[in-house]
Amino acid sequence: MPGSYEQAITLTGDLHARPAGALAVAAAKFSSAVSLTVGTSSADAKSVLGVMGLGATSGQDVTVAAHGSDAEEAVAAILAILAEATSVGA
Amino acid sequence: MSLDARVGIVLVSHSAELAEGAAALAAQISGGIVAIIPAGGTDEGQLGTSAAKVQRAMKLADSGAGVVILPDLGSAVLTVRALLGEADDLPTPVELADAPFVEGVVAATVAAAGGGNIEAVLAAAEEARHARKL
Repeated sequence: MPGSYEQAITLTGDLHARPAGALAVAAAKFSSAVSLTVGTSSADAKSVLGVMGLGATSGQDVTVAAHGSDAEEAVAAILAILAEATSVGA
Repeated sequence: MSLDARVGIVLVSHSAELAEGAAALAAQISGGIVAIIPAGGTDEGQLGTSAAKVQRAMKLADSGAGVVILPDLGSAVLTVRALLGEADDLPTPVELADAPFVEGVVAATVAAAGGGNIEAVLAAAEEARHARKL
């Protein structure tokens, strides 16, 4: 059943190219549309260039939103990558 | 085509170093699970392009899901088009992307790593024309 789900996370590091790539690869595995919002900017989580273009930095809140049949799983997966990838200074 | 075959990427640059550097960057961003084969410079190691290098790179890049080729500048397109028109024994499908070199290979490789088919990988590369850095 299609659903919408969203959750925010505070970044503990900057969202650099490598985590952006990991995030986009992970998002592609879900059928749901997944977006990231930082302040007034939003990006398709499946677009690595869009994610990098957010320029999200340590301390900023990122809202992960998904809409579709696997929305909750998609949000959980993306949050996990944001939590891990931005904590190691990748 | 096997179930886990991914689209391969060939980088055609006038500079061997440029092709190799872009391939290394894209490999790291996409997690190292996509074949990204650089084909830069002439057969003599000078600045320029080589149909023989491109042909070898295409074979190395292909794992059954096809190959997307990214040229660095317009004149590299001439080398690729001539090769595609003349050579047999090339991987299929093959697509030549009209895309910025660095952004294009990063977007294409991430799309391939995510399991995208050749149309999705080509589209990701070409959509990179519209990506803003700032």
